[in-house]
Amino acid sequence: MDPIKTDVVVLGAGPGGYAAAFYAADKGKKVILVEADKRLGGVCLNRGCIPSKALLHATKLIGEAKESAHRGITFGEPNVDVAKLRAWKEAILTKLAGGIAGLAQKRGVEVMAGRGYFENSKTLRIETADGNKFVTYDHAIIAVGSKSAMPKAFDLGNPRVMTSREALEVEEVPENLLIVGGGYIGMELGTVYAALGSKVTVVEALPTILTGADPDLVRPVIKQAEKMFREIRTGVKVQKMATVGKQIKVVMDVAGKPTEELYDRVLVSVGRVPNCTDLGLENTKVVRDDKGFIKVDAQQRTSDPNILAIGDVAGGVLLAHKASREGRIAVDTITGEGTAFHSVVPAVVFTDPEIAWAGLTETEAKEKGIVVQIAKFPWSASGRALTHDRTDGLTKLIIEPETERILGVGIAGAGAGELIAEGVLAIEMGATAFDLAETIHPHPTLSETMMEAAEVFYGRATHTFVRKRE
Amino acid sequence: MQITLARLRILEYQEGAISGATRDLRMDIKLPNLGEGADSGTVVNIMVKEGDQIKKDQPILELETEKAVGTIPASAAGTVQKIRVKIGDKISAGQVIMTVTDGGAGAPAPREGTRPTTTPVTPVAGGEYQSKSGFPPPASPSVRKMAAQLGVDLARVKGSEHGGRITIEDVRGYVAWLQAKPAERIDPAQSAVNFAQWGPVQKKPLSSLRKTIARRMGESWSAVPRVTQFDEADITKLNEARKKQAGLTLTPLAMKAVVATLKKHPLFNASLDEASEEIVVKAYYHIGIAVDTEHGLMVPVIRDVDKKSVAQLAKELDDLAGKTRDRKLTADQMKGGTFTISNQGGIGGGAFTPIVNVPEVAILGMGRGALKPVVTKDGKIEPRLMLPLALSYDHRVIDGGSAARFIVDLVKALENFSEADMKN
Repeated sequence: MDPIKTDVVVLGAGPGGYAAAFYAADKGKKVILVEADKRLGGVCLNRGCIPSKALLHATKLIGEAKESAHRGITFGEPNVDVAKLRAWKEAILTKLAGGIAGLAQKRGVEVMAGRGYFENSKTLRIETADGNKFVTYDHAIIAVGSKSAMPKAFDLGNPRVMTSREALEVEEVPENLLIVGGGYIGMELGTVYAALGSKVTVVEALPTILTGADPDLVRPVIKQAEKMFREIRTGVKVQKMATVGKQIKVVMDVAGKPTEELYDRVLVSVGRVPNCTDLGLENTKVVRDDKGFIKVDAQQRTSDPNILAIGDVAGGVLLAHKASREGRIAVDTITGEGTAFHSVVPAVVFTDPEIAWAGLTETEAKEKGIVVQIAKFPWSASGRALTHDRTDGLTKLIIEPETERILGVGIAGAGAGELIAEGVLAIEMGATAFDLAETIHPHPTLSETMMEAAEVFYGRATHTFVRKRE
Repeated sequence: MQITLARLRILEYQEGAISGATRDLRMDIKLPNLGEGADSGTVVNIMVKEGDQIKKDQPILELETEKAVGTIPASAAGTVQKIRVKIGDKISAGQVIMTVTDGGAGAPAPREGTRPTTTPVTPVAGGEYQSKSGFPPPASPSVRKMAAQLGVDLARVKGSEHGGRITIEDVRGYVAWLQAKPAERIDPAQSAVNFAQWGPVQKKPLSSLRKTIARRMGESWSAVPRVTQFDEADITKLNEARKKQAGLTLTPLAMKAVVATLKKHPLFNASLDEASEEIVVKAYYHIGIAVDTEHGLMVPVIRDVDKKSVAQLAKELDDLAGKTRDRKLTADQMKGGTFTISNQGGIGGGAFTPIVNVPEVAILGMGRGALKPVVTKDGKIEPRLMLPLALSYDHRVIDGGSAARFIVDLVKALENFSEADMKN
């Protein structure tokens, strides 16, 4: 059988892969998009961002209903039909994946279902339901993503030890849930299960949860989690797990003492590893780093002149929006108008409350010895936050003192994920605190906290009093 | 920094796209060749002023040369945007006299009401952006993309907005300034010298081989920080042994000595992969041999030198050199080298400084062996046959100490070459 010839083949139809495929098609390239999964959209759509946000939204109501008692509104105990919840979530995913398939079709992007394997630098073999197909291409973009890491010591082959993939299926609501790893995935899913009624214990080996975010942004999340979760243990390492009947026995080292506990289910969220094995990369010139991620330059080129890589598999921060941008850069590189990746990548943790940041963080500035000024506006001074009954928030700007340029923005609070976009734009545009302070923000909204934080920098915020800077 | 015409077009295009304004082409009027041996003169009068509409061939300048005072006609029509000379300036052929914006004769008349106002660009000198926080200069994504496409380093553009933010206008001003700086412009096509004015010349087109050599040498020269290490090897003994083998030249022997030394110093048998930030050390020894042909330099590669006998190498070398001179080499026969030897001994001459044959990291240049008086260990002066060696290397990969050790070992290998080695 003759190989199929194409300009560009994209391996993996996640948010990086399909963005790259569509953009390449929009630029007039003949594109084949290869996906091993039944449904397009990758982890983000099927087993990550989207289902977790659906569950967070649905379960948020449970907490809000309880909290409204002091406002004079009370409800009975909630009745959770897990099967129905799951079906609703599935419906969203099906609709989104169908949307992507439709967009591919409209653009003339050929979708091939099957696993891809590099025969050599110029040929991809695709194991489809109707046998092997061979595609020769000018350029391949690898966008195969990552999967949850499962350390050998925890891999009991017992479905009660879950990764985020299984946890998002919500097979049941366990009475006692242990979450190993207090990163964003563990904290978000902990929020879901706690709302559904599980007693959640989070164990983090590092001294703090949500490493990478500034401590003052994490504090409101810890406070809320202390109310919702049974316990958060930091600086604690899980050593062993074993199946005991319908439970999991977990041995961990708490303050130097081995402690044994029983849990109904365990969620392991200790990081993610690239999906690089069994791709035939050894048949190409693609080089991987010591953690297994594909090495790329700022234009997404690998060491193989015909192959580019984007998204999680290319390392860096493992976020969908970073992958999408890299996908477009890869296509620009192919069409010869490439500019390198120099964008600010915002991060959002959809905990309760949410935290979000972009650009330089305060922690990073301290580590690198960069002199910055911090301007903070506490949400307790925001009228809108008061009406939400959620004043546990903070908006802060990280500012270069001489130029007053905004280098970073950090937000904790309900809806922080939506608010951060303004911060990203400010950083990308090279805006100064003055620009933000001079821009009218609508009242009463949480967006005003951005403007007021900028006003704090100049010592003249309306709704909070700060002594003027000398 | 060189701004090509193509890049300028992008700038003009982007300006139009971003500001919604139509393009406004600017062009420079330069002092033409004056002929009759005069190539410079002093400006005695400027006959137009900024803002004037001028026609093509209209006198714009009076220039005093050694012979006479004459007027200089405009080479283009348009609106005088900027006069770049003043009375009393001594100017020479090719220098920019003034910049005009298009819109004069030849350009279609703008339709009433549709012509947008285009602000003339004021050239603004570049600076050096320095941020204490180490961040790149503030500029929006659209400005950054435009700068990247133009090849403009934003750190050199002065930002006019609050906090030093750079606008599209700032980039335009900087580019205009670059253009007005004749001294720093490198534009070979325009600065071509008319050699015929000094005597008869003959012109020959560059052959494609010459073009390739020029490009590759230029690339190596600008990319590789090269150092050359010199030494001499006493090849008296080697030469005597060589003479016993009919027709054997020094090159295959040098190849053997080089490979033995490369095995001790693998870094010289490597390449630098800048993209992946790795040094690629090769476990094979393919030696390129510079061959001088009537068409120009070519470098055929002899593979697996470590696995071949001197006799085999000599035969292969002879064969490849013949093919090279007949231009029958395939592209593959010139690829994959790990180290190059350039032996000029057959022609003559002493030490020279070879250029590294990228992506290799080192090259050995051999001059002609010459009898020299050498002081021996016991204090006597003896005539010895000394071979000048020159090892050029890529200092990004190899340090001076390593190079000195390499050449010491290479000299030893050549001096200790035995007759038995020649049979291997």
